[in-house]
Amino acid sequence: MKTREFWYLMAPSLLVMGGLLAFPLFRTVQWSLEEVAYGTGGSFIGFDNYAAALTDARFGRAVVFTISTTLIVTAILLVLGYLIAVGLNRLGKTRPLVLGILLVSYVLPSLVAAVAFSWLFNDNFGGVVNRLIEFFGGEQVLWFTDPFWNQVLIIANEVWTLQPFAMLIILAGLQGVPEEIKEAARIDGANGFQTHLHIIIPTIRGVMGFVTLIAIMDVLRVFDSLVALSPQASVIGNESIQLYVYSVAFANGAQNLGLGSAINVLTILIILVMLIPFIRGIFKEAKAAR
Amino acid sequence: MSLTTAELRSTTTTAGPVVSARRKRTRPPLVTGILLGALCLLFMSPFIWMLLSVTKPTDIAFKNPPVLGGYTPTFQAFVDLWETTYFASYLTNTVVVAIVSTIIALVIGVPAAYALSRFPSYVSAILLVLALVFRSLPRFAVVLPMYDISRALGIYDTTFAMAIALVAINQPFTIWLLRNFFAEIPRELDEAAMIDGCTRIGILRRVMIPLMTPGIATAGIFVFLFAFQEYLTAVVLTDSSSKTVPVFIATQLGQTLPMLQQAGAAAMLLTLPVVAIAFVAQKYLVAGLSDGSVKG
Repeated sequence: MKTREFWYLMAPSLLVMGGLLAFPLFRTVQWSLEEVAYGTGGSFIGFDNYAAALTDARFGRAVVFTISTTLIVTAILLVLGYLIAVGLNRLGKTRPLVLGILLVSYVLPSLVAAVAFSWLFNDNFGGVVNRLIEFFGGEQVLWFTDPFWNQVLIIANEVWTLQPFAMLIILAGLQGVPEEIKEAARIDGANGFQTHLHIIIPTIRGVMGFVTLIAIMDVLRVFDSLVALSPQASVIGNESIQLYVYSVAFANGAQNLGLGSAINVLTILIILVMLIPFIRGIFKEAKAAR
Repeated sequence: MSLTTAELRSTTTTAGPVVSARRKRTRPPLVTGILLGALCLLFMSPFIWMLLSVTKPTDIAFKNPPVLGGYTPTFQAFVDLWETTYFASYLTNTVVVAIVSTIIALVIGVPAAYALSRFPSYVSAILLVLALVFRSLPRFAVVLPMYDISRALGIYDTTFAMAIALVAINQPFTIWLLRNFFAEIPRELDEAAMIDGCTRIGILRRVMIPLMTPGIATAGIFVFLFAFQEYLTAVVLTDSSSKTVPVFIATQLGQTLPMLQQAGAAAMLLTLPVVAIAFVAQKYLVAGLSDGSVKG
């Protein structure tokens, strides 16, 4: 392909991404250094917004909440995703049906999914889960006001909606594992558990790494679902980073754009660090293709 | 963790193995079957409970402990939703935004993805890296400035602004996914068409697009689903005249009990088409997911 043709075909897409992603992103970086409200020029204040963000206890709590949620959800997704994928891999004709059912929670609008999920725990709607807990002799749980149990609820919801993704990617990985190495392991006398631990999991570590990265990035930006799952988020301290940005920079007429933008920039820096291995991979591939 | 996209593609390849599972297999062990059946039920339970809750008469829908039977199901919440709110216009907005943004995203994404798959160079690599970075940005980092810009341009609260914002937000995903599909088509085809006197645009239109139909369908379904369910962008970029269903549902949540039931009814109406798409287009969704692409 000629260079001219390349730019010709790329142009519309670049125009859209330049104007609607790159430029707004530049604005965010600019705003993070300013004292600014919507529609105004703003005045340069250096790194004051960053200092304000880093010393704000509420932001600190949001960071701890978001990161702990992310780590727990990711760990569960990997373990459960692997187990379900191994099970699904043994299915024959019924697999498309099972896959279809399991995909539902993933394709549901995340806000709708969270609303539906919260109703199982909401005493307004019969509190099904609390009734079950009672039935087994447990005590009522305050799912929406107790910070610990609310976080459990949020984690459960994230696992529910992201599990199909993790499971599908791992399933695809499992099917790429050559039969020969599994057979070789069997001949060498490995039992099922050893085969999984020492043969299959190391073979699909690339896939597991990919699932980990996507899971981390998806949970780091959790926002929609909290609207339904944690109506008291800021009061009980279960605010995610994105929800915090929303409330300081947008909700209820709050226009602390500088602070919100500074937090966005900090989040971007964290994400960039996590992307480094992927970025290196892409460049390696580009080098090889030349 | 070291992982290149090439490695990823070689291990996850296409949906082929996942979907075309008609291979002869031994019957799954009973335990696996039971566990997976229970899992399916567990995964569907929020959905089932919501369906039950919105089809109960209002006076028993909120009873605690729940009333499980002995009532006549009613669609009153749906009727009320239709008659007492502007749901029809929210639904229209949502559908229009989803369709318009899907079409535009594909029209500009397909040529770009094709170019990226056929021009091996550092330029392509840099553009792909940029797309990856854009895809992983915190959404507010671009949506808050979009709010400011759309107000300045006077297009705030229009379906056009919302649709074009979603085209941009999903563009990195669209071109990555399509590029991976294009990369599977051998370049010899391009060369053969060129010898026959085709121009690049001609190749794209006559050779690639027909071959790429499954890939384009996959990308289209994903972009449509993303747009159909988008809440964050909609809550920032729309107000009254172009409000979408997810925003409407969110505003209903803190209200009275009958309104909660209406929110549930709206959620069901938003969900059913999505579930239908998920079942019908399962093959494409699986292909998109296992091709190393991800939810926007």
